[in-house]
Parts: sequence; structure tokens; C-alpha cells
Amino acid sequence: MATNNSKTLARMMVTPAVILLLIWMLIPLGMTIYFSFLDYNLFGDGENKFIGLLNYEFFLTDPAFVDSFFNTLILMTGVLFITLVGGTGLAILLDQAIYGRNIVRIMVLAPFFVMPTVSALVWKNMFMNPVNGIFAYISTTFGFEPIDFFTHIPLTSIIIIVSWQWLPFASLILLTAIQSLDREQLEAAELDGAGKFCRFRFMVLPHLSRAMTAVVLIETIFLLSIFAEIFVTTQGGPGNASTNITYLIYTQSLLEYDVGMGSAGGLIAVVLANIVAVFLMRMIGKNIEG
Amino acid sequence: MSNNKSNKSKMLYTFFAWLISLAIFFPILWTILTSFKTETEAIASPPSLFLFDWTLENYNKVMQQSPYFKHFWNSVVISVGSSLLGLLIAIPAAWSMAFIPTKRTKNLLMWMLSTKMLPPVGVLIPIYLLFRDLGILDTLGGIVVIMTLINLPIMTWMLYTYFKEIPGEILEAARMDGASVGQEILYVLAPIALPGIASTLLLNVILAWNEAFWTLILTTVNAAPLTAFIASYSSPEGLFYAKLSAASTLAIAPILILGWFSQKQLVRGLSFGAVK
Repeated sequence: MATNNSKTLARMMVTPAVILLLIWMLIPLGMTIYFSFLDYNLFGDGENKFIGLLNYEFFLTDPAFVDSFFNTLILMTGVLFITLVGGTGLAILLDQAIYGRNIVRIMVLAPFFVMPTVSALVWKNMFMNPVNGIFAYISTTFGFEPIDFFTHIPLTSIIIIVSWQWLPFASLILLTAIQSLDREQLEAAELDGAGKFCRFRFMVLPHLSRAMTAVVLIETIFLLSIFAEIFVTTQGGPGNASTNITYLIYTQSLLEYDVGMGSAGGLIAVVLANIVAVFLMRMIGKNIEG
Repeated sequence: MSNNKSNKSKMLYTFFAWLISLAIFFPILWTILTSFKTETEAIASPPSLFLFDWTLENYNKVMQQSPYFKHFWNSVVISVGSSLLGLLIAIPAAWSMAFIPTKRTKNLLMWMLSTKMLPPVGVLIPIYLLFRDLGILDTLGGIVVIMTLINLPIMTWMLYTYFKEIPGEILEAARMDGASVGQEILYVLAPIALPGIASTLLLNVILAWNEAFWTLILTTVNAAPLTAFIASYSSPEGLFYAKLSAASTLAIAPILILGWFSQKQLVRGLSFGAVK
């Protein structure tokens, strides 16, 4: 009796969240699907003719799409790789007995709190600027030609900026995981003659897998739709060299006013993200609930 | 002897840890320092680290040039407003999923998380057009609603992982003693769950403060938060390093301080309970 009551109550309590999220997903997504079949320009004649799959054809055969698809992947895997490897190293270092550990931790964590527009602008102007930037100063001091970051290696520059933003997150999650490691087991392994590498490979690394899954999942959510860092630095250029899918769709729909094409692109982005999502959900399903 | 050896390694680790963490922190430190320089000193070569004439002139100029406090206030309203509104919806949902789970609870949670995987560009155009037609482009109310919806899945998940750790027996005991559901929540659950709720709130305030897709697209002047305020410095006119630094410092300082004070709670919350 009490259980029946509480079940009804439970359903009532979940309902608002579910309904809101359903609305949030279905209505805009439905509209996107509808628009994607129309010849719809924000400043067009307002006829918005039905043109079938033409928008998809144009979007998918546009060389910019192929470029931005690979840029999105490179951006995501590049940042994931740097933050996971760097984060693990940093976590191990911060786990050692060191002086001033709290201050060190505060400094490492700081970039996570910096908003993307600020970090992108600071890196762009004060560090990567080929004339007045600090990197330019360092290279000229040592007699090298300064690198023009955003002209010659735009995507790499953005990877550097985004990695700087996410490294703290990865390190701290991994550090927390390392600290929960069973010390006695490690010591026993050491006494049995297991070397440093051996202990890392067969004891620390497996223990970190859950935390790494969490890092990959959360970072991916944000990395798939990087926008501000590109918006304030390269604007996707030069050419399409640093355009990701999010930025491409933004230019098509809000700068070129092509709603139909932008919608088709948006849906393709959703499908691609879902492929990644299914893959990730399997991973967490195994790792987090278990 | 072994003591001596471990002391040596401690010094070595300390050295590397400080070296690396200073390198990571350097861009922020440099921004803060540059904000107190004159424009000439800001691009001086060789750059000076501390030995320059400290000035507050840039802060004055930034405040005069653009209404900083208006943007600051917008950021506060957007981040705190959307987080509180989100809590209001997410707490009941997470509570019921944690304490009265059904067969579908796990699927429901996964589905909620999957809505977070929906790339914002997928719904960019409809949201933009809906906002335009409803006349809520560039309004605080509109952007608060969007932020709430964006962070709702994360909030529900975080709260769920916190609530699940509360032993159900406590609730049963309270129920045995004749507590109603309302009393159960107010007197038993709330005190235990408060730390989890607080860190969920904090994390969402930080995420919303730094969100820079919807805020850049849906606001122009009136509702523009600090992310948009800073983005206006990306034009060539903004190539004044000292002023840019002052504006940046003003934009990140509040959240940096808040974040430092709450770092322990944040780390746990962020990992969705995957790391204890």
C-alpha cells in the first residue's frame, strides 16, 4: 500500500524533468528536421519550397563538410589524448609527498574556471601573437623565426588552448582516483619485486580506468561542440583549416542565413554525435554503474 | 640514510610539481599582471614580470568603455538563476529515482544523459527562430530557460549519485516512526543531502558562468553576460593588451575565487560518482 503510494509519488516527481527534457529535445529537433527539407533562407522570398533531400546532398558534398568533420575528430582526439596522458602524469606527480601541495593544486585547477572566450583571447593575443606574443619573444631571443600560430597551425593552436582548459579537470579526477588506490597492495607488490613500470601498468592503470572513462565522457560532450575558442580566434580559417562542424553550421545558418542547409547540417551533427554517444554509453554502462 | 634519500626525492618531486603547475598557471598570472601595466609596458620587449609602474588605469578605462557591472549582473542572474531553477526540477526527480527505483530508472537516467549529447547546433536554428518570434532574443529570462534545460541532465545525474549513497534504512526508520514524506525530506534527507546539493549548485553556477555558445548567439546587448562582453574584445580594436587583461581579470575573478574555495566538492561532483 505504502509502496503503491510512493510509486505514484515517485512518478510525479520525475515527470517535470522528463517532460521538460522531452520538449527540449523533440520540438526543436522536429523543427530542424522539417526545415532541413525546405529551401529556406532567412532573407529569401518566404516561399520555403519543399526540396526533398537536396540540402543534405549539398551539405554532404560540400568540401567544407569533409574538412570540418575531420577537424572535429582531430580536435576531439587531440585534446583527449593530451589531457589523459598529461593528466595521468600530473596526477601521479601530485600524489607524491611534496611541499606546498595545496598551492600547487590550486594553481593546476585554475584554468578550468576560466571562461573559453577569455582563455582563447589571452592565448591568441598575449602568447601566440607573432609580433608581441610571449612565444614570439622566446623564439626571437633564441634566434628562431617566430611561429605565426593562427596562420600556419590554426587547428593545433586551438588544440593547445582547449587542452590547457581541460588538463586541470583530467588531472584532478585522476588524482582523486589514484588517492583511493590500496597502498598496502602496492607495497606488497614492491616487496615482491615488481618494478615501477610494472606497478603502474598492472595496478595503477587498471584502477584508473573508471576515472578515465568519466573524463572521456564528460570531455567529449564539451569537445564535440567547441565554439567560442574558434569564434574569437580564427573564425574557422584560414580557409576551413580550423572549422569544426559546430562552427560550419553556425556560419551557414546565422551568417549566410541558409536555414535549410544549416538544419540539414545540424541533423548530421546530431547523428554523428549519437554514434559517439552510443559508443560512450556502452562504456559507462559497464564502468560507472558496475 | 633512507630518510635522507626520501628527503631528496621529496625535493625533486616538489621542484617538478611547482615547475609544471607554475607553467599551467602562468597564463592567468600573466593576464593579471598585465592588467596593471600601461599599454606600452604590456608589449615591452623584454617583458617585465613584476618591475613596472603598477597602475589601475586599465580598470578605469574598461569600466568607462563598457558597463562591466551590467554584464557581471547578467552573468550572476543567468548562472545562479538557472542553477536554482534546475535544482527545483532536478531534486525531486533525482530523489525519486534514487529511493524508489523502478525497472526503467536506469534507462531513464541514460536517456537524460543522452540529451546532453545532443549537439547544440542541432537545435540552433529552431531555438533562434523561436526566440526571435517570441521576442525573447537578448532577454535574461530566455537565456535562463535555455541554461536550465542544458544543465538539467547533469544536475539530475549528480544529485542521483549523491542521493544513492544515502542509506535507505534511515528513511525507513523515519517512516516507521510515522514521518510523512514531507517530514522525511525536510528533517532526514535534507541535512544529509545538503553537501551534495551544494556542490551540484556550485558546479552548475560555474558551468553556466562559462557557457559560451548560447550566450554568444542569443544575446547582443541587454542580456549579454561576461562571456559576450569579453568576446567583443576579439575585434582588432581590442589589441590593447593591458585593457584586454583588465577586462579578462574582471570576468574570471569571481568564478576563480568561488572555484578555489569549493574545489574539493567540485571534483567529486564532476566525476558523476565514478571516483570516490
